[in-house]
Order: sequence, then structure tokens, then C-alpha cells
Amino acid sequence: MAAREPLLKIEDLWVSVEGKDILKGVNLTINPGEVHAIMGRNGSGKSTLSYTLMGHPRYQITGGSIIFKGEEIGELPPNERAKKGLALAFQYPVAIPGVSVSNFLRASVKAVRGKDIPVKEFRQELKAQMALLEVKDEFLSRYINDGFSGGEKKRLEILQMTLLKPALAVLDETDSGLDIDALKVVSTGINTLATKETAVLLITHYQRILNYVKPDFVHVFQSGQIVKTGGSELSEELEARGYDWVTQELTPSGVA
Amino acid sequence: MKTIAKERVDEITKQTAEPAWLKDSRLKAFESYLKTPTPCNRDENWHRTEVDSLDLTTLNVIVSDSKEVKAGKEPDVIAAALAHLGKQLPFIYTTPQSVEIGNADSALLSKGVIFCSLKTALTQHADLLNKYLSSGDLSTPDFAHNDKFYLMNQSLFNCGAFFYVPKNVILESPVLNVFTSGEESSIAVFPRVIIIVEDGAKAEFVNISTSARKTATDNTALSLINSSIETVVGQGATLSYLDVSDFSDNTFAVSRVYNEVKRDASLHSSTIALGGWQIKSDIQTNLKEPGAKSDIRGVVLGAGSERYSFNTIQDHIAPDTSSTINFRVALKDSSSSAYLGTIRVSKQGQRTDSTQSNKNLLLGANAHADSIPKLEILADDVKCSHGATVGPADKEQIFYLMSRGLNNLEAEELIVTGFFRQVVQSCPVDGAGDWINNLVAEKILSSKKA
Repeated sequence: MAAREPLLKIEDLWVSVEGKDILKGVNLTINPGEVHAIMGRNGSGKSTLSYTLMGHPRYQITGGSIIFKGEEIGELPPNERAKKGLALAFQYPVAIPGVSVSNFLRASVKAVRGKDIPVKEFRQELKAQMALLEVKDEFLSRYINDGFSGGEKKRLEILQMTLLKPALAVLDETDSGLDIDALKVVSTGINTLATKETAVLLITHYQRILNYVKPDFVHVFQSGQIVKTGGSELSEELEARGYDWVTQELTPSGVA
Repeated sequence: MKTIAKERVDEITKQTAEPAWLKDSRLKAFESYLKTPTPCNRDENWHRTEVDSLDLTTLNVIVSDSKEVKAGKEPDVIAAALAHLGKQLPFIYTTPQSVEIGNADSALLSKGVIFCSLKTALTQHADLLNKYLSSGDLSTPDFAHNDKFYLMNQSLFNCGAFFYVPKNVILESPVLNVFTSGEESSIAVFPRVIIIVEDGAKAEFVNISTSARKTATDNTALSLINSSIETVVGQGATLSYLDVSDFSDNTFAVSRVYNEVKRDASLHSSTIALGGWQIKSDIQTNLKEPGAKSDIRGVVLGAGSERYSFNTIQDHIAPDTSSTINFRVALKDSSSSAYLGTIRVSKQGQRTDSTQSNKNLLLGANAHADSIPKLEILADDVKCSHGATVGPADKEQIFYLMSRGLNNLEAEELIVTGFFRQVVQSCPVDGAGDWINNLVAEKILSSKKA
């Protein structure tokens, strides 16, 4: 691959929540169009990384840098990051009663693209993506995530990613809580999303989703750091041998 | 609060050449006014309102004696409302200088329907008004006994509207009564609106009150808008009433709404309060006969240092009556609201069914909301419930929306219109929902970033 500017370059990133260090020196480089998977145990700091990338005010950057498209984004509010082409599919998206999905999607697409889209054109685009994700029409008139099942919430998250077409989509445990059929549908959505224009950072706990979505790189996350990086074969090895294997490899005495 | 001189009442009766019975009623109200103590913020009903700063002697009591004219180009406030509610709706537009009438040729105003300024009504329909205003038939609201502002209005009312719908006439569209104090300050205006819907009739009424948004920073010249609205819903009749107010931050707006609901009649009332220095509004609904039903809704959006105080009273006088109340309040900056909701059930009010809900969303770090339910129940076979919540906006909701490209104000706007939706979308006036959503969005998006 020719030398080019990375899409995202995270260097020695330290993040704390309420005074407690959660990320302890993360380094990660993602080039345009690449698919990366971050795997790790619960509590290893994976979700902190996704919230920090999107700019959640609860997460304080105490050291290091996040360079996105050549610019430090650590100080930008979330909406400015979204406009630059960063998007996050939430693990637990919140319900917003009274706000219909269709109103919200249109407002969101308008804000990110910086211009209003004619209703008809928007409808067409939306319907195509909805068909792909097997989302029913009645979805649009419901309130955001209000009374949605786990699977419906995840579909709505992926639907938004496919509409926003970000340069980097961070998917935070999009596979958790899905049955096998829903997992397949959501995976199809992710594979449609992952193009030359859209890089994907897939954060997951299980190897399962990687049967459907093939990452270019797999990183193992542990205690607030990336401790091991490999190709897609790494995820299979993790599945077979468990996270303890990485721990043991890193700390030969077996004491994590 | 300094008081009003009796000459004011004399001036008004002189200039408007009113019938003798009305002059008597004004003077009687004025006597009661003098005897009634000025409220102070130790009163439960007034503890969030600052009355002391109001000096009535400095206010210019407007006596508009100008001729009514046909409206030329619709003022913006009316054009916006008509765009949502229906282009050809009849309207009355009252300013301190003039009264304009629009779309008076509307088909709505046939079959004996009367919609005119109160002044016209007093000359052309005096007998009809007299029947409702001075007959002992109308039970008087609580404020007639103890409320200085109501009595002030009853003695000094100097503009307003009269809407009369005869028996069994069905109107599917509203009429609009619009009042604006314009850019005037240091004025006192006393609008009075009387709505009579006879037995078996159906009608809609939209009341809009505004003043021009002030551009100057001068905050000392205050105005008083003191309104009274009376509705009578006859047997089996239906009235949908929508009240939208948006005053400037030098306006002290007091309004007293009294609804009387008769046998098997239905009242839907929505009050949308979007601005003012202080808003003090009481809404009393008397469910006088069996089968009477009322549905009272409210939306309050506060910003800056605005203060709102709403007091609702449901008076279940007869058996087998029902009422619902749903008030939603969103407060930005350091605005505040006090909601006092009274459900009263008389000894005769068996099988009353009443629910009351008041939810408050605090957007500003210094915003404050009180919610006080009051149940006074003398009957023993009733269903009454009430619920109140006060809480800050959910930061996770804001973050979620911002992560999808919306800025802080846009996120706030979606959350607030969503919070109001349950109340707004059920307003029976066609097109009102979108109109109100737009007004709410405008107020939020035009405000400064917190």
C-alpha cells in the first residue's frame, strides 16, 4: 500500500473517568477503508475508547492525541466530529420519547452533510437501506429507541451508519444481544457499510461476528491498552485459546 | 403594588357608552377590588410571582376608542397561525391603537354565529351578553371573591372578543382572536374574552397574545396585560380552546380563565406559554352537571429569567364528571415555574374520575420548578390520581443526538418538542400541533448558547 495519510492516528492516549485512569496509552492507526476489530474482555476499556473518540464529556483525555483526517479532534464537540466523518454506533443507545425516528434521521443527515436533502430523495435512500436491514416502515414513526427490542436498537444504529456514510464508523458491541438471524442481518449491513470510503472499527467481546465480517486487523485490548495486533487469524486463535492465552504470553509467570 | 384610581373606571364607562347594567357591574367589581388585599408572595398561589415591583399608577390604561376596520395585510403573527390552521379563518386583531377584522365573510360566521370585538358585542348584542353576564345563572369562579387582578379586569376591561355559537351549530374550524401590545411599554391592558357554545353545538377558538420582542436592554418600563377568559359549554356541546401567548420580557401577564361545562359537554383546552417577564395564569373549570368532561393541557417553555405560575382548579360539582390535566414545563437558563393543581370534588360529586399530571424538564443549570398537587375531596366514591416529576435533561440523550451531528441547541430542540409531544399532538384544533412545534423550535433555536 502506498504511503498515505492515516485516517485515524491515536498516540499514547490516556483517558480517565472521575479521576480514575481507564485508557493507559492506546496506540492505533487506521487507514481509509480498513476494517479493524478490537477484542477484549468486559471492563478492559473498549467502550471508553469508543466514547472518547466520539467526545463524550464524561471521559477526560489526560494525555496523548487523537488525530483524525490530519487534525487533533480531542477538543472538538461531538457534532463537529460527526461532521468530519466520524460516527459511533452505540452499545446501549438511549430512548428519546416523543422524537420520531424519521424526524431525527432527517435532522441528522442534514446536519452531517451540511445541507437539506429533498424529502423524496431522502425517502428513497432511506427505503433502500431499510430493506437491506430488514427494517419495517412502521419503524420511522416510532420514537427513537422507545420500546425497541435489543435487535431493533442495533439495526437502527447500523441504519444510521449507512445513511451518514462516515469515513470511520466505530461499532461498539453491535453484536451483543443479537440472535443468530439478527446477527446475520446486521453483519450484512456492516459489510455494505465497509467500503473504500468507510473504515470500520468493530469493538467486540465475542469472535462470533467475525465469522461474517472479515477484519483486516485484529487488536487485543487489555487493561486500557492494545496488547497484541494481528490479522483475522488472531480472532480465531483467541476464540480457541481464550483471552488468558494473551495474558500468559505477555506475563510469562501467568500473573496478569 | 400601587393601586388604580376610580377615575379610570369612570373614564372607561364614559368613553365606551356602555349599557347601565354594565357600568353597575364594573363599579361593583371595582368596590370589591378595593376591598381585596393585594397578593404577596407569602400566599401559596403567589409565592413565585413578584408583585411588589408592579406600580399601577405609572401605567397608562389604554382606552382604544378607534373604529373597527377591515384588516389590510395580515400581520406576521396572524399569517403564521393561518398558514397552519387554515388561510380563510376569521380573525380579530387588537392592538392598543386599533381593532382589525379579517375574513369576516367566512362561512363559519353564518347560521347565527357571532364573532366580534367585545365593544361591538356590547352595542349590538347587549341583551345576549347581559343574559350571561348578569344573570345569577352563572356560578362565579373563586377569583371573583378573592383575586385582585380578576376584579381589576372585571372593572376595567377595555378590549376583547365575543364568540357565540347557537344551538346545534357544528363548526369544524377555529376563529382566531389575536391581541398584541406591540412595542408599547408602560401600558395596562385588560382584554376580556367571552365564549358561549350553546347546547349541542361544536366550536373551536384560538386565542393568541403577544408583544413585540424587545430589542432594547431597558428593562424598567413594564406593562401589564391582565386578561379574563370565560367559556360556557352548553349541554352536549364541545369546545376546543387553544391559547398561545408569547410576551416580551417586560410584560407582566395575568390571565384568569373560567370554564363552565354543562351536562354531557366536553371542553378541551390547551395553553401554550412561550414568554413574558412574569406569567400568572389561573384556570378554573367547573364541571357543573353530570357527564361533563374537561381535558386541560399546558405547555410552558421558559428561558432567561422568565417566571411562570400556573394554577389549575378542577371543580367537580356534579356526580359522574371527569377531568384530565396534563401540564409539561421545560425551563432553560434561570427561568422558573410553579404549578399548583387543585382537584376539588364536592359532596355530590360521586363517581368523579380525575387525573392530573405535571412534568418538568430542567434544561438550565439554574432553572427551578415546583409542582404542588392539592386534592380536596368530599365525596367517597371517586377516582383521582395525580403525578408530578421534576428532573434535568438527560445528558446521554444530548450526547446521542450530538454524536449524530446536531449542535447543542438542535439537540435540545428535539428533546423539548419530544417532551411536549404528548400534550401538543392531541390538541383537537387541526394543524395546531405543527404550528406549536414550530413556535417551540423558534424559541429554542433563537436563544443564546447556554
